[in-house]
This record gives sequence, structure tokens and C-alpha cells, in this order.
Amino acid sequence: MHDVRFTGEDILARQLELAEANYRRLREKHVRAISVLGAIGSGKTTLVEQAIDRLQGRGLRVAAIAADSAGDDDHRRFIARGAKSVNVNTQDDCHLDAHRVDHALDELPLEDVDVLFIENVGNLICPADFPLGADAEVVVISVTEGDDMVRKHPKIFAQTDFVVVNKVDLAAAVGVDPKRIVGDYSAVNPHGKLFLTSLRRGEGLDELLNALGLGCTNTQW
Amino acid sequence: MHEYTVVDELIGALVPRLCEHPGRVRAVVVRKGELRILSDHALVSAFEILARGTRLEGAELVVETVATVVSCAACGYRGSTGRLVEEGDHFSIPVLSCPRCGSEVRVDAGRELYVDHVTLSDDSPADG
Repeated sequence: MHDVRFTGEDILARQLELAEANYRRLREKHVRAISVLGAIGSGKTTLVEQAIDRLQGRGLRVAAIAADSAGDDDHRRFIARGAKSVNVNTQDDCHLDAHRVDHALDELPLEDVDVLFIENVGNLICPADFPLGADAEVVVISVTEGDDMVRKHPKIFAQTDFVVVNKVDLAAAVGVDPKRIVGDYSAVNPHGKLFLTSLRRGEGLDELLNALGLGCTNTQW
Repeated sequence: MHEYTVVDELIGALVPRLCEHPGRVRAVVVRKGELRILSDHALVSAFEILARGTRLEGAELVVETVATVVSCAACGYRGSTGRLVEEGDHFSIPVLSCPRCGSEVRVDAGRELYVDHVTLSDDSPADG
């Protein structure tokens, strides 16, 4: 028996390199990229829709990559708002990866884009291990999933700096106290930023956009 | 289920690197940072399935955990983190904040995922 030792190169090195290449490519074109991930039905698409309206209203050019296992519903919603959009079907894969984002970027006129939203497949867990090359990552959950989402996935929230807790207008109806989610999150991630939103009503969105450096006072980057 | 993607990448990267090393592969030892969202059990079963028909078939995948190490620019601390322990919920996870001064920290270890070594025996796979 003998051992062959390796130099410690990451198993996902190929993914990391692709993610870094995406990051550099977006930077060169002065595109600010925001990755949006979270559970099915939490409001990721609504967040991107509302952000498109808000940012376009200020003259910014917004594009989106809409990833789903199948179909082009989200993609159509973004197009209907006037954003450029690329549809990506991951089929049986539970997450988007940097390689697919690279191909999607080929289809976008990046010179004419200021802000790009990359909406991942509805899945809280799997996308966490696959960096895409975005500037910031936002995890979206909603009160209808219960007040124990952070407790159930502490490792994800410990590493997520921007968390949106959506549908707070429904909190009383589903018997959830958003304060409990806020408390759990600050225990696991004392430096993270959490936003309570009702995205269908557009509430809480400005605070999130400000924190992402996309507020009306800080559109230069 | 993304463990399958990870193991697929692992096998694809590892097999060509073993070309110059004859012998039967007995074990593949992977070191995984504790902050990774990857199930050891799922990694092992994915490896068992995806290694079939490759040089790695029949080898054991061993997953070792790497503890989190952080460093703090504010006070110069470097070391382990405080942990949030919930016995009822069966978790103990590192809190990414300086245990000495409470500032934000940089993660120096805990997110890695790499092959540390492969153990080979001197018989060839053809020997049965």
C-alpha cells in the first residue's frame, strides 16, 4: 500500500474558475450582478420583477437570467417588465452553475446592461455550494414556510449576508412571528443584513436595494 | 442531491491524475470544510455509484472534516470561532464573528473541499 498525495486543489476548482471568469467578465462590462436564491415559492421572481421596475424607473438597464428546472414562466415575466432576459432550464439539476451562467451571458448584450439578476432554481440548499460570479447573493425565504427556516438551515444562513424574509403581510394569518426569524438569524450571523418585505406590495425593497449598493443615492460603482 | 455533481467533478479530475500511479485504488481521502453544505453520507453513496466502470470502482471514499479558522482584521485574532449549539435541534455550527472583539472576520479554513491523498495497493485491478 502507498499513498499519492495531492496539493490541495479544490474539487470544484473548475466551478470556482468559471465563477471567477464570470465575475471578471461582468466587472469589465460594468455590470452589477445579484444572485437570488431560495426556496420554491418564496418570492424570488417577484423580488426581481419589483427590482426591475424600481431600477428601470431610475434609468438603469436591467437584465435577468431566469433559471428553472423546466418552462419559461419567470423569463416571460421579466420580459413583460421590459428587462432583457435569458431562460435557462437546468432539467434534472437542482442548481445553477457557473458554466450555465457563462453561456447565458453570451446571449446578453452586456454593454447595454447596468444590473443583472441571476435567479436560481427554487432550492435553498443545493445552490449554496456553487458560486456563479455575482457581486452579491440574496437568499429569499417567506413567512409561509414557517418561523423555523433559519433554525433548520443554520449553516446556510451563517454564511449568507443578505436575507429577505418575504410575505410578512401574511405573518399573522399563518401564525408566524417574524421576530423569531430575525432573532435566529442574528444569533447565527451577527453581521448579516435581514430585510422584512412584502414584495407584492413593494414593501421593504428599497432597504434591500440600498444595502446592495443599488439605492437611488448609490448607483455609481 | 448536488453531492452527485460534486463527486462527478471529483472523479473527472482525479482519474487522469492517477495515470502515472499504477495499482489498485483502495481509498480516496477527501477533506471537507465544515461550512460546506454537503452530506458525507450522500457523498459516499454518490461515489459508490459514479465510480463504477472507472479506475476508482471499489475504492472507499473517506471524508475528513476541516474545522473553521477565522482571522480578524480589527484585533488580530486568528483561530477557531464561537459556536452556536442547539442540543434540541442537533446542531453545532461556527458563528462567523470574532470571538474576541465581535468584529467581522475572514474565513481562512472551513470552506475547502479537496482530495488529500489516494491510497493504492500494488496489485492491479486485473488481478481481481
